[in-house]
Amino acid sequence: MSTAEATADHADINEPGAARETFRAVTRDVSWIAESPKPHKLWLVALTVAVLLFAIGIYSIYKVVMTGIGVWGNSNTVCWAWDITNFVWWIGIGHAGTLISAVLYLTRQQWRVSINRSAEAMTIFAVMAAGIFPLLHTGRPWFAWWMLPLPNDMGSMWPQFRSPLMWDVFAVSTYMTTSILFWYMGMVPDLATFRDRNASKGNNVKAMIYGLLSLGWRGSARQWHRYERAYLILAGLATPLVFSVHSVVSFDFATSQLPGWHTTIFPPYFVAGAIFSGFAMVLTLLLPLRFLFNLQHIIKQAHIHAMCKIMLATGMMVGLAYGTEFFIAWYSGNPFESFTFVSRAFGPFWWAYFAMVSCNVLIPQFFWSNWVKNNNVLIWVLCIFINIGMWFERFVIIATSLARSFLPSAWSYYHPTRYDVGVFVGTIGMFLMFFLLFFRFAPVVAISEVKGASDGAHASGKKGAH
Amino acid sequence: MSTETPPPEETPAGDSSGKHAATGELYGYLAEYDTPGELVEASRKVKDAGITEFDCYSPFPVHGIDPAMGIKRTILPLIVFGGGFSGAMGGLLLQWYCNAHAWTWNISGKPTWSIPANIPIAYECGILIAVFCSFFGMWALNKLPQVWHPLFRSDKFLRVTDDGFFIGIEAKDKRFDADKTKALLADAGAIDVEPVYFDADPAKKVMPKWIMAFIVASTAFALIPFAIAAKARNSHSAEPHIHIFPDMDFQPKFKSDTENDLFADGRSNRGEIPGTVARGWLEEDTTFYLGLTQETGGQWIDGFPAMYPDSPSLTPDLRGKPFAVDAKLLKRGQNRFNIYCTPCHGYDGRGQGMVPTRVKEQGGVWLARNLVDKAGPVVNLPNGQIFNTITNGFPPTMMGYGAQIPAADRWAIVAYVRALERSQIASNEDQAGQR
Amino acid sequence: MSLTKTLHPDEKFKAGKLGSTMVKAGLGLAVVMMIVSLVLGSMHGDGFKRFLHAYVVGWSFIATLSIGMLWLVLLHHLTRSRWSTVVRRIAEAMTTAFPLVFIAGLGFVLPVLLGNKTLYYWSADDAHNAALNPTLQHKLGWLSPGFWFVRYVVYGVIFSGISYYFANKSKAQDESGDPKISDTLRRVSGPAMILFAFTTCLLSMDILMSMAPKWYSTIYGVQFWGSGNVGAFSALALIVLWLQRNGRLTHSITEEHYHDIGKWMFAFTFFWAYTAFSQFMLQWYGNMPEETVWYKYRMFGDWQWVSIAILVGYWAFPFIFLMSRWTKRIVPSLVFFAVWQLVFHWLDLYWNVMPQYDWTKVTHGGATLVEGPLANQIALHHVGFSPLDITVWLALVGVFLVGVGRSLTGNLIPVKDPTLGLSLAHEQL
Repeated sequence: MSTAEATADHADINEPGAARETFRAVTRDVSWIAESPKPHKLWLVALTVAVLLFAIGIYSIYKVVMTGIGVWGNSNTVCWAWDITNFVWWIGIGHAGTLISAVLYLTRQQWRVSINRSAEAMTIFAVMAAGIFPLLHTGRPWFAWWMLPLPNDMGSMWPQFRSPLMWDVFAVSTYMTTSILFWYMGMVPDLATFRDRNASKGNNVKAMIYGLLSLGWRGSARQWHRYERAYLILAGLATPLVFSVHSVVSFDFATSQLPGWHTTIFPPYFVAGAIFSGFAMVLTLLLPLRFLFNLQHIIKQAHIHAMCKIMLATGMMVGLAYGTEFFIAWYSGNPFESFTFVSRAFGPFWWAYFAMVSCNVLIPQFFWSNWVKNNNVLIWVLCIFINIGMWFERFVIIATSLARSFLPSAWSYYHPTRYDVGVFVGTIGMFLMFFLLFFRFAPVVAISEVKGASDGAHASGKKGAH
Repeated sequence: MSTETPPPEETPAGDSSGKHAATGELYGYLAEYDTPGELVEASRKVKDAGITEFDCYSPFPVHGIDPAMGIKRTILPLIVFGGGFSGAMGGLLLQWYCNAHAWTWNISGKPTWSIPANIPIAYECGILIAVFCSFFGMWALNKLPQVWHPLFRSDKFLRVTDDGFFIGIEAKDKRFDADKTKALLADAGAIDVEPVYFDADPAKKVMPKWIMAFIVASTAFALIPFAIAAKARNSHSAEPHIHIFPDMDFQPKFKSDTENDLFADGRSNRGEIPGTVARGWLEEDTTFYLGLTQETGGQWIDGFPAMYPDSPSLTPDLRGKPFAVDAKLLKRGQNRFNIYCTPCHGYDGRGQGMVPTRVKEQGGVWLARNLVDKAGPVVNLPNGQIFNTITNGFPPTMMGYGAQIPAADRWAIVAYVRALERSQIASNEDQAGQR
Repeated sequence: MSLTKTLHPDEKFKAGKLGSTMVKAGLGLAVVMMIVSLVLGSMHGDGFKRFLHAYVVGWSFIATLSIGMLWLVLLHHLTRSRWSTVVRRIAEAMTTAFPLVFIAGLGFVLPVLLGNKTLYYWSADDAHNAALNPTLQHKLGWLSPGFWFVRYVVYGVIFSGISYYFANKSKAQDESGDPKISDTLRRVSGPAMILFAFTTCLLSMDILMSMAPKWYSTIYGVQFWGSGNVGAFSALALIVLWLQRNGRLTHSITEEHYHDIGKWMFAFTFFWAYTAFSQFMLQWYGNMPEETVWYKYRMFGDWQWVSIAILVGYWAFPFIFLMSRWTKRIVPSLVFFAVWQLVFHWLDLYWNVMPQYDWTKVTHGGATLVEGPLANQIALHHVGFSPLDITVWLALVGVFLVGVGRSLTGNLIPVKDPTLGLSLAHEQL
């Protein structure tokens, strides 16, 4: 929106009651989703599908835990496959939520307020989905508590903190905790809104539930002051956190000596890729829901434009990383490194490499076009491809470097089994299920933040325009 | 595909009587304003009038209200900084203690305190503690949760999270005066000013008892798993472990020394298969192992074997070496003789060891050979036969020592016996010179 | 969001003679320091090897200042940023110094093209010895003086071209006030940013990473850019404050804007530390000798003290103090940290270049050959500071000031930019 448009809206906001009407509209437009007595039919259909997928996942997880990870396609050679690919994919998706909440807040991008709540929820559910994989891939998940530094009668034997896999434990759990706290903190004023709406309608039980959840929030300016400081601080903490989490995940690979894995650019490259795939997932979720629940004037087309541009930018960063890796693989003179890169493109997994490059480098180029950026159905399709491409990127990194590593006699191929697919599909189902439930029962847009960012927030009333 | 539209909006039911009927003392005045800008101006006026016990209420943080109200900056950032720093140091300390001090591990030859490898976790710990300080610190400083507050008794106040902007001046403020304060608020542009009262019931001023009970109970219940874990760390039970996930704990195989009813003797252990010999333990050298002159049959050897066999059944210092009758051999022989032979044969070899002596005291007879008797058979026996006697015994009194004494040691004992004999049957020449 | 201000009626936004003051000062500094450097350089008696090394460090320093500010200009247009409009003209002036910077760079580039064999090992004769340097042979086509020079020229043309395009269009908007210019610049900034990224990465690898030609790191370009931006924003702060001390833009640029410049200094201090730590930790952890040799020279011997100084001085100390609002809003404190970070930025570049200074000789197949930098046999040597390092640096800073001063003419603020009003009214949360 240009400056001309911004000043035009200004003119009538100072009429008596005009500002308040805009605030009421926001409250209404967001709250009715949770208040409608019957859920939308399509929502029910989607939830059913999600629960079915989740059920497939539960059965697959049961098999994996009770029989062992031999039911997966992993082998001695390709010892990490779908399990770790999915882990990195889900964590990457989660990063967009934190970026929208924290980094866009620090860079004063007001347009974030329409999407940040949903994005944060998406982060939490994505991290939950991600966490399943490291737990399962150990083979004996009931010993997961060994990773905590608890005194024990084996010495005490302490965890090996120097391992990137241990760093993952700390990074992902810190990320999970921070995301939940940040999300909840942001929701408190909106839960208070739900409380008051239910109280004014006489729904005492709901009012009490929302009342407890909102901790008795009353919108006091003194409390807002500390709240805003805490919000800023959490945003300032979440930003280095989100960088560090995916960097730590990238360390799982980069600290090794495998060609294709051991390269210093992994940390920022993984972070850029995470933001890329995360924004694609945000749009995959929000575009249909925006349409179905009439949130078009809260989640504006300009906001979608901005998200497409971010995807284009981060997709280009990923492309720059591909180019740099490829160049240095040649420059270094390390024959294993250059072999690996040739094998990626022309070896047994060439088809995955092709999918990766076309989805991550070529597809985002569509976002240069304004016509595309205004066409939400096309954007939705492109976002799905981007997520597929980012899945393949992780798969290519993991599988090609393992399947063609130093010892030719160990070279192998990899086929996923139905349980690989089952667990993955189950996590998608779980993610969708929780997200749909969130959408129905929680404030899906940050009501107070949208109001605070609107023109009405600067209305000075009878005194005249500023 | 139809999309849903929001239902037509009803005006909020404003019932000002009924549930909030009973009133107690005055809490203060609540004034409503139309726009955020007016709220800021009004709050400035209230502050300038010297009132301190007041607050503004809005659905979102209003820009510019902090300086208008004179709100001081919170100390929260300092708390967070302190927390973050301690968290990071704590993380570093944890890793130093666990991996470099309590149980040092050599990983890839890196230093036991590998600071570069400890940075990621220290960093995450710092951020985690900072986040906790920020989150819990903010709620604590805000004195929330506080689900009971007199303002909630006002129906108008329900709009504070929707579109309402309010100022609340508390009656406990020093400059509070029923009329003057009301006028101040109205003059500042209030749409409406209403008094707010505490609930008559003093119990409603504080946290409901059932909430406190719930918190205490849930904390207590939450500690139960930890208590169980702490108790279960050391088990005094003689029962076998509970196997939730059987894994490969129960395998379809027989373990040695367990019962087995497939076989008549009831044992799982079937013993060695006859004729099996451990690698390197085939005792082919009949001279060394039997004391015979050649492969099969033959006679007892007179001297000693020429070589120690190259077999793992011998100690490395002897394996494959030429047999030497030297001081070392004799010392070994003495050592072994003293252990195994002296109970019967005595330290001098005369057969007056502890066993015969004791038997005699008891009134019995135990004949142990005099090994050094000038006339006796042993002196005239070839070495191989003595070796054989040590190995297989001399029934009925002497059992064979072949199982207890390895062959090399038996030869050492043979050599020592010869030395004993020489010492007891020394000739003048032997005594004359030092050899 | 919807608050705007107009330019203060008394505001002095014309550069007047200030630009030429800067040019004169810069010229004086450059000429005097260069003469001193040439004298000192010849006194070293090493065929100007030390001089050239100091030149590379100093040149990288000024190049990163322009590169960082070009990034700010591109980002500003790409994201329709509002706070930076008031300082954009100054940033543009720093970028239009590029042609002069690249001409000054010929001071070390031309010698290499014309046969110097002591600055970059890949230009030395023994680099071509396949038995001695098997891992170098395949890249000597890429790292040949001719091709390297062509790339240098291309980088210069690209950076200068982009800078002048944006600066000229911005100046044209002062006349016409046409808002479509902003839209054009926004559309061009996307592809320009991509070109910028590739050029920056390749430049850093060509000029600095190839000083240790057998070593490599994929994050090098990113780390170079991050470190450069610390220096660039610090330099921006100083130039802006100097202009204000001379009476210009005193109403337009407020502590709200310093706060933002300070935030970028803080952010990039952290970002540089993140990339530098990634590079270090990954190569330390992987423990592969062809990579760790670069760090071995910086972790042991005398260089470890420089490394620790950089860790504490370039990251820890500024990080802790730039976190607070007040260090960024109070002028003396901002000046202190800007100068501090500029010095440490130079030290970081010095640390990248100088440990490769000593080249070993080795006997190989009967002949004595030059084995190059970071050869494992050498004892961790001592390379002390020389005044030459400082004088060359100052000379090149002088050149930079000439380049900037030349562009500080006319309006110091984009008077008809549509976002100017918002930028003037900018306030922190």
